[in-house]
Amino acid sequence: MRMKYVLSEVLVGLWRNVTMTVAMIITMAVSLTMLGASGLMYQQVGDMKDLYYKNIQVSIFLKTDVSAQQRDDLDAKLKSDPLVKEVLYVNKDEAYKRFQEMYQDAPDLVNAVKADQLPESFRIKLVNPEQYKDIYDQYKDTEGVDEIVDQSRLLDKIFDILTAIQNIALAAAIVMAVAALLLVANTIQVAAYSKRREVAVMKLVGASNWFIQAPFVLEAVVAGLIGSLLGLIALIGAKYFLFDGSLQALRGLLSPIQWSDIFLMFPLMAGVGGLVSAVTAWVTLRFYLRV
Amino acid sequence: MTKTYPKASRPSLDNVSVSIEKGEFVFFIGPSGSGKSTIIKMLLHEVSPNKGRVVVNGKDVTSMRSWKRPHFRRSIGCVFQDFRLLPNRTAYENVAFALEVIGKTKAVARRVVPEVLELVGLGGKEHRYPHELSGGEQQRVAVARAFVNRPLILLADEPTGNLDPDTSIEIMRLLDRINRTGTTVVMVTHDSNIVNQMRRRVIEIESGRIVRDQARGVYG
Repeated sequence: MRMKYVLSEVLVGLWRNVTMTVAMIITMAVSLTMLGASGLMYQQVGDMKDLYYKNIQVSIFLKTDVSAQQRDDLDAKLKSDPLVKEVLYVNKDEAYKRFQEMYQDAPDLVNAVKADQLPESFRIKLVNPEQYKDIYDQYKDTEGVDEIVDQSRLLDKIFDILTAIQNIALAAAIVMAVAALLLVANTIQVAAYSKRREVAVMKLVGASNWFIQAPFVLEAVVAGLIGSLLGLIALIGAKYFLFDGSLQALRGLLSPIQWSDIFLMFPLMAGVGGLVSAVTAWVTLRFYLRV
Repeated sequence: MTKTYPKASRPSLDNVSVSIEKGEFVFFIGPSGSGKSTIIKMLLHEVSPNKGRVVVNGKDVTSMRSWKRPHFRRSIGCVFQDFRLLPNRTAYENVAFALEVIGKTKAVARRVVPEVLELVGLGGKEHRYPHELSGGEQQRVAVARAFVNRPLILLADEPTGNLDPDTSIEIMRLLDRINRTGTTVVMVTHDSNIVNQMRRRVIEIESGRIVRDQARGVYG
């Protein structure tokens, strides 16, 4: 009976103050969506780093007039370098083949370029991709070297952008969370005020503290859980319409977001939403009801 | 015991020592601000004395942890001048509410509530709402609610303050009947008429001190 009483009180409480409840749930949902998005982004950046750094290369392009002697010297030097893990020599034909593959969607470009025009290069993998600078300093003045390109430079920019987006999402989540917190506190105060007579009688006849507080706290928790559910739906919508829809073009760049990643975010969102609401409600009650 | 409220220039209760036996009927009288209500609040563990001890039912209330207070309150029934009934519940529901929120089942309430409403003389009016009842009848509901849990002590803070003399006497008869079941009744009042008619122990307080403690006393 007590459980039934508490649950019916929760529903009545949420309904009595329905505009406030809706506002509370919406802010909670937005905040938790941002939190979930930020979490996804974090995972995403991690995944991409793993993926890209494994394959990252430093390309040393050779001058078109490089002599065979210079090339062999460089090859030997690279192979004996302790910073270098793997060395791959790419001659003009191979470079052209790669070029063709890379730009197969743009036949005009491919036709305009002859195999001769593409430089020979060494593709090297570093033992530690972050030691690019050392390699650069060491080889930039070597004879026959035209240009040294580090792919990780480019990636770092992308990661910087992704991290920035992640931070923005997290900041938005926190700001919205503050708004949600205040709304929860306010809703609980209104609920406690509208039930002040009942609460006074309950205290008088010796109802236990948890019994007095439970309906209010659960009210907040239910709102938090509904908010996290809406947040999950928003994330699913974002994947469906944004990533699989309008951002399809970036597919090659961003590693795909798995459904399982999104569903993994739900426990986080529900946990944070429920816990934050519960604690806020409880603290509010301690000040407001003095039970 | 002594109780000084913060910001007060003089203690609300100054070195007061009272002992009330089980089953007694005691009036606390005295002018407003004399400290009568503070005594009630201390018995309920709403406030604690600065000095001294409050012992209720053999338990030292002064050192009681606040989380134990709800359970302690279940052994004390309370009646107030303003009835404190829930306006959106019937007489029956008001009394049943007090049982249900301390964990009694609806079945228990169905058995006990009609009984106690009968005892206070409200048989047949169980399903009236407070606004459909007279002041005296509302106070009967309040007494029923205070008594339904068979407390050891019944505290009544000016229970007749809002009632006309005839109705007041009926309420006093009811409290007397409850007292005869062995329940200690502690009543704070201004009503000289009632005190004089009942001829019970009277403790008079003035400016936080006991100035009179008399068995079978009158208002004076």
